[in-house]
Amino acid sequence: MLLGAIARKLGDDIKTFATMPARTVRKWSYTVQAVRRGELPASEVLKVILSTIGATLVVLALLFPIYWILMAALSGSGSSLYTSESFSLLPSNPTIKPFIWVIGDLIVPSYSISAAIPFTDLAFVFQTPGIEILDASDYGVDRPSEFKRFLWNSLMVAIPTVLIAMSLIVPAAYALSRRKFLFRRKILFLYVLMTQVGGGLGVALLIGMYALYVQFGINDSKLALAVYYAATAVPFNTWLLKTYMDGIPVSYEEAAVVDGAPPWRVVTEVIIPMSTAGLATVFIFVFLTGWTEFVVAQTLLGTENYTLPVGLYAMVDEYSIPWARFSAFALTFASPIMLAYLFAQRYIEGGLSFSGMEG
Amino acid sequence: MSTVSRAADRIESVPFLTRDDASLLLVLPGLFVFSAFMLFPVFYLLGISFTNAEPANLFAGEGVVAVLTFGDALFVGLENYADVLTDGQFWNSFGVTWLFVATSVTLKIGASLAIALVVTSDLVRGKRVLRSLIIFPMGLPPIFTITVWRGIFSSAEFGLMNQLLTAFGASSVAWLSGRWTAFVAYNVTEAWLAYPFMVIITVSALQDVPEELHEAAVVDGAGFLARFAHITLPSIKRPVLFASILTSAASFQQFLIPFVFNQGGPARANELIVVYGYREALSFQQYGRGAAISIIALVFIGAFMWLNVKKGKLADGVND
Repeated sequence: MLLGAIARKLGDDIKTFATMPARTVRKWSYTVQAVRRGELPASEVLKVILSTIGATLVVLALLFPIYWILMAALSGSGSSLYTSESFSLLPSNPTIKPFIWVIGDLIVPSYSISAAIPFTDLAFVFQTPGIEILDASDYGVDRPSEFKRFLWNSLMVAIPTVLIAMSLIVPAAYALSRRKFLFRRKILFLYVLMTQVGGGLGVALLIGMYALYVQFGINDSKLALAVYYAATAVPFNTWLLKTYMDGIPVSYEEAAVVDGAPPWRVVTEVIIPMSTAGLATVFIFVFLTGWTEFVVAQTLLGTENYTLPVGLYAMVDEYSIPWARFSAFALTFASPIMLAYLFAQRYIEGGLSFSGMEG
Repeated sequence: MSTVSRAADRIESVPFLTRDDASLLLVLPGLFVFSAFMLFPVFYLLGISFTNAEPANLFAGEGVVAVLTFGDALFVGLENYADVLTDGQFWNSFGVTWLFVATSVTLKIGASLAIALVVTSDLVRGKRVLRSLIIFPMGLPPIFTITVWRGIFSSAEFGLMNQLLTAFGASSVAWLSGRWTAFVAYNVTEAWLAYPFMVIITVSALQDVPEELHEAAVVDGAGFLARFAHITLPSIKRPVLFASILTSAASFQQFLIPFVFNQGGPARANELIVVYGYREALSFQQYGRGAAISIIALVFIGAFMWLNVKKGKLADGVND
């Protein structure tokens, strides 16, 4: 039900996005007509056009580093960005070779399945066809990256992180928002205090944590890392979700209670659906914690268990960075998140509004 | 009757507790996990800081007993602290850290306010698109963007920043080899990393500024600057203050930028305090010393947070 609602909104977003050019053109033609009729002074329109161009330039300048690195990946010209020619806006001879290098082979090998019929000597042997989606060597890439292994490791860290963190955060946020209980204010105070602590505290603690993990023998465990990430995500996200839930009028719950709904149904039918934006924000934040954290993962995990960020940084040499491959790797790693981010943006803006912060 | 309400009834039968106190049970798991993974290492770190721990003695032995006795490490009292506090290296790192907080926070607030004003301006069309583009970098892994910025500030002739400089006729700079040029590079990168978060919060605050106030001011003949100073700023003060506090804590604990750029160099001149502690312990194997530095950093972070919450009235939301 929740997923359905999200899917519908996503559909709306896509529709809005797709029809945007048409709407823009229509708006412009209205404006042009208004100017022709003399209802709108032309200087006003010019001001708007100039400001819009200015604002667009500002935004483009801010995003330029990302564009730069994308071009580096596409031009794939060699091992470094520091070629003798200077930067150009478009790659001179675009290639997707670095991306092929990242993804590597996508081949499902053929398996033989044999089924023996009992009490007879007969046996059937099926040979499943091998599915070859992408063969890296076709593109002249001999030793593809270990992206898939890192991806698997990252998923094995990020998924438990989200599951654990959400099951810790959601009930707590609900209780803190709706109930009055012992130590409530003390706990909230602690959480607000800890909210300011980002990954930095983790680094400060790293020595103690590293020593503890090594002694308990869990320093190379992805699950232990996931629990750690979930723990660091608790204060900020609990508080964020609590603030969001505070914004939901109590009258809805009262109405549900009057209709005879038991407490758990009030939660599943009123609170959860109404805090979709908050939940989505928290979900993304928690996921990103596990997906992008570097320092702790690098210190605790062994080479076999490297997650994507650690694998990425492992490509960086002291003096040279293989830019084309590096950026292709990073963009492949980041693009799903960026897409999710773009679509979840309305939720994030809504969820981050800190409605409780004003006044 | 469900287990939950049965538990609630039992709690009710205890004096001093009310039925609602059962809700504490919903909060405790999170609190417990958080304490186990964040607060316990703090105490352990504190313990290590009083010993001469290094990998050889700290990791001797296994199991719970070895954890509690810090392996074979010896108790040395306050020696590590005395050592650290008389070390010029520490005071340099300490000073650079505060300087970094001051400069980078100023830069972040200024830049983010400017960007937020641009993307909420009435004169600009397509603001929603611009705003979605603007928070794009937030979705990128920091380790990636920071490495990209390392390339931008590359000392080589053709790093992006140097290309820009030569395009304007200036000569290129070996950014990361000079102490203060590297410091500038840290600041710019930190500002770029932090702006999406700051802009989101500022933009939603700006949207809550009542339109009538601006209209009334325009009628009274107030210019843009006057309106900004007397209407916009007071209305967005609290959320922006809140964002600034969060971001200054982030600056104080900045680790990745110096670490990726040049390991806090050149010649350890720009080691922010967290980097300093990390390097002492994990690069130079002085766990006791590193722990002492980290504890000192933690004390400052803690005091800083406490002051913010108290003075910045961050916990106002707690009281209702």
